[in-house]
Amino acid sequence: MPVWKKEIRKHLAPLNLSPTREAEITEELSQDLDDRYERLILDGLAKEEAYRRVLSELSQSDRWTSDLRRVESAHHKIIAGDHSRANLLSDLWQDLRYASRVLLKTPGFTAVAVIALALGIGANSAIFSVINSVLLRPLPYKDPDRLTMIWEEASKNGYPQDTPTAANFADWRDQNQSFEGMAAIADQSFNLTGAGDPEKLEGRRVSYNLFALLGVDPQLGRTFTAEEDQAGANRVVLLSHMLWQRRFASNPDIVGKSLTLNNGSYTVVGVMPPQFQFPTPEDELWVPIAFDSREAANRHRHYLEVLGRLKPGVTTDGAQADMTTIAVRLQQQHPDSNTDIGAVITPLQDQVVGDIKPALMILLGAVGLVLLIACANVANLLLARAAVRQKEIAVRVALGASRFRLVRQFLTESVLLGTLAGIVGLALSLVGLFFLRAFIPPNIAQAKVTSIDLRVLGFTLLISILTGLIFGLAPATQAAKFNLNETLKEGGRDASSGSNSNRVRGLLVIAEVAVSLVLLIGAGLLINSFRRLRNTDPGFRADNLLTMKIVLPEPKYQEHKQRSAFYSDVINRIESLPGVKSAAVTTNLPLYRQGNSTGIMIEGRPEPPPGQDIIITTRIVSPKFFETMGIQLLKGRPLSDEDKTNTPGVVVISETMAQRYWPGEDAVGKRIFPGRPERPEDWLQIVGVVNDVRQFQLDVEPKPQMYLTYKQAGFFAPRDLVVKTDVDPASMASTVRRTVWEIDKDQPVSNISTMNEILAESIARQRFIMLLLGIFAAVAMLLAAVGIYGVMSYSVAQRRSEIGIRMALGAQKLDVLKLAVGQGLKLVCIGVVLGLAGAFALTRLMSSLLFGITATDPSTFIGISALLIAVALIASYVPARRATKVDPLTVLRYE
Amino acid sequence: MSYIGSRVLDRELKKGSAELLILSLVEDQPRHGYDIGQLIEQRSGGTLKFSVGSLYPLLYRLEKRGWILGRWVEKPHQRRRRYYRLTAEGKKVLKAQRSSWREFVAAINSIAGIEPA
Repeated sequence: MPVWKKEIRKHLAPLNLSPTREAEITEELSQDLDDRYERLILDGLAKEEAYRRVLSELSQSDRWTSDLRRVESAHHKIIAGDHSRANLLSDLWQDLRYASRVLLKTPGFTAVAVIALALGIGANSAIFSVINSVLLRPLPYKDPDRLTMIWEEASKNGYPQDTPTAANFADWRDQNQSFEGMAAIADQSFNLTGAGDPEKLEGRRVSYNLFALLGVDPQLGRTFTAEEDQAGANRVVLLSHMLWQRRFASNPDIVGKSLTLNNGSYTVVGVMPPQFQFPTPEDELWVPIAFDSREAANRHRHYLEVLGRLKPGVTTDGAQADMTTIAVRLQQQHPDSNTDIGAVITPLQDQVVGDIKPALMILLGAVGLVLLIACANVANLLLARAAVRQKEIAVRVALGASRFRLVRQFLTESVLLGTLAGIVGLALSLVGLFFLRAFIPPNIAQAKVTSIDLRVLGFTLLISILTGLIFGLAPATQAAKFNLNETLKEGGRDASSGSNSNRVRGLLVIAEVAVSLVLLIGAGLLINSFRRLRNTDPGFRADNLLTMKIVLPEPKYQEHKQRSAFYSDVINRIESLPGVKSAAVTTNLPLYRQGNSTGIMIEGRPEPPPGQDIIITTRIVSPKFFETMGIQLLKGRPLSDEDKTNTPGVVVISETMAQRYWPGEDAVGKRIFPGRPERPEDWLQIVGVVNDVRQFQLDVEPKPQMYLTYKQAGFFAPRDLVVKTDVDPASMASTVRRTVWEIDKDQPVSNISTMNEILAESIARQRFIMLLLGIFAAVAMLLAAVGIYGVMSYSVAQRRSEIGIRMALGAQKLDVLKLAVGQGLKLVCIGVVLGLAGAFALTRLMSSLLFGITATDPSTFIGISALLIAVALIASYVPARRATKVDPLTVLRYE
Repeated sequence: MSYIGSRVLDRELKKGSAELLILSLVEDQPRHGYDIGQLIEQRSGGTLKFSVGSLYPLLYRLEKRGWILGRWVEKPHQRRRRYYRLTAEGKKVLKAQRSSWREFVAAINSIAGIEPA
């Protein structure tokens, strides 16, 4: 069969068709010419004659080439028939099927890409779930954005949000014009007796209208009436749903029954619905607050929480101005109590969220960064793969695929990848959340109800699709710029598209390194800060200390004498137990959020002017307290059993107090009094100075403290028992409790834990945040390392021929290694410099979370940079080593 | 009849009817280019002959308009060939062209006094 192609091509050449089109037409025409030739042969012509005839027909200047030119140069329609919707859908489906085939063909790549993305998306979903429940979910009350807390503003005394006094509350409630209503809430523990084991329950005394203000109806029964909110008429109680279930077996007849609380009889009037947790999840009972006349007029005891509901149409600013006016008026009317006391309004949502907001925001930012790194990684992977798939792309273009179609194909692949990663990520986040729940410190309000909800689902899906589009763009646009000619030529390396792609990938790696450095430095700062926090000397020795709460109910132990007797008895009995070194009581253990404080006078100095009280944290303890807690005596003597009601009053103060009020002098021997002494012999003499104890939090500087002995002071009652043991303290728990019950079988004993546990719990939140950020940083570093490894591998593979030539020209393995690693190192160093700059700028945002180090701690910055460079070096070294294994002969031969 | 005028007439007539011919030939079944050319020659008793240079530009033009669809088909033991078939759009065009051709012919016939064949 003669070959017509050359002839045909001669005619087609001046048309300048695309090579595919030219090839196509050539093939079709030559087949036709073949057939015509065959025909002529069959008709009996000789071969040469037939050939000549066919050829002349072809060359007949029927101006067919110009016709053809006109046809071919017209705008090329997509060879898919008509543009109906059905076609578009079927194309999409075809794209999808093709994409899945492609992904399945390279399972390793797909797995790595999906996992990298899933980690990013999973982490995002988990954190978003927590943020969702804590920050975004509206409070379960009617119109919760109208609810506010109202505090006393006493920052001059060190209390920007102070608990109001009852008299101030009454005036606020009666004089304001901005609130539909206000309710007061007071802490109250209840000893439940007479129905099984005595139990101490946390509860609240509340204004009768609290539940109406919140807009919550009880599940059973009713809430309080105004009549019940008066002294003497308030023996009614509302139960929480959990208490009702736990203690009363969800008995529907509970309404109307009587309970013995604090040795008094209370009638149950209702049960609140499940999930009602106001103000805290620990509250299980509510009784009317029922101020008596004395309490209602008290302007010195600061202990209430006040809730208000704004009137419709009133803004927070307007209400704030209103309250400030009232506060100023009160300052003028009651200068001895209200000087420098203002009023401040906080929306309830902000109050509940507390100070966890900045931490959560930082975490969300961190998670976003990790996702970006994961995207960069996958984009890199896809770019590398696109380069490898060039032959496939060439064939598809030859078969008539348009650029648009190709881009669409690539985007489908990456969106599919993103969706897959989203599904895996969601599963990962469910698992992660399950574990996270165990670690979430209980003082993050609503986090107890954390779960995945529709918003999280939507967010995750959005992220998956966005991620698919973002990292799909990189390789897809590379494909569009693609040059067919270069690729179809045999042995063609990607010429122009190659260096472009390389530059993009290099940039991606630099970005990855920079971002992970920022994360790592953030985590490093938190880790260092946490270490410092944990190592802070609390001022006492926490080992082998057993603690428990014994709150003596007031009606039973009304007299100071009764209480003293109880404590002495308890301490003596416990100290005689085997395994016990010593025992003591105190009003509040260290590291508990609350503390009692009083204003004092110092003998020989004028009474402080109103509003400038000397406020000292006060502890009423038993004499062996210092010995039991391992608090060091610095001067003088500790409290002793000999200090009784008929001996002079004594007090032991802390180092800070001594230095602040008697600088340069010896405080021992000086005299002070909590309040104003009525007689000269009332003054308490300072007999000793002990070192400071961290009362509230490890990261808060200790305030001045004083210690009184329980035998002499009765205005606060010790509530905590602490026992120093020889053996593991937890093992003594039941024995100690039984000992208490020997004295009073109805005395509830609660909050049994060791001091070490309390210590750990006080820094639980910081540990949690550190853990999370640490995990993110580790993941980021891993991803960055993988990214560097990928880029280096690819670059080495690409430059095989160059390496081969160099080696053939005499380069040593070491030189090749240096060349390859040097390339990676250059990228990493640029990334590190950028990352350091970024970290410098961004870590200021987390300075509120740091303790003991600055946000630009140099050792952290330098240490982490070194770590990252080391990791990057390893990631570059491995593929670089492969470069040295290149055999120059094979490479050159292939060329 | 080697008369320039008839050659021009030929060309004009051919051009006008060529699309109709091709469209109708791929109505029932897909055909490749050579096949179409042969059928035209046979069924017209040799009166109408299409060379490679006149047939294929025409086919490509029709394909560009979306009236016919060309597909490479590989049958066993054969090289692949490009087969053309009528599209939905092409069907409509064919119907329209048939009726207008009928009208045209009828008009010419009645004026020029030609008897039906």
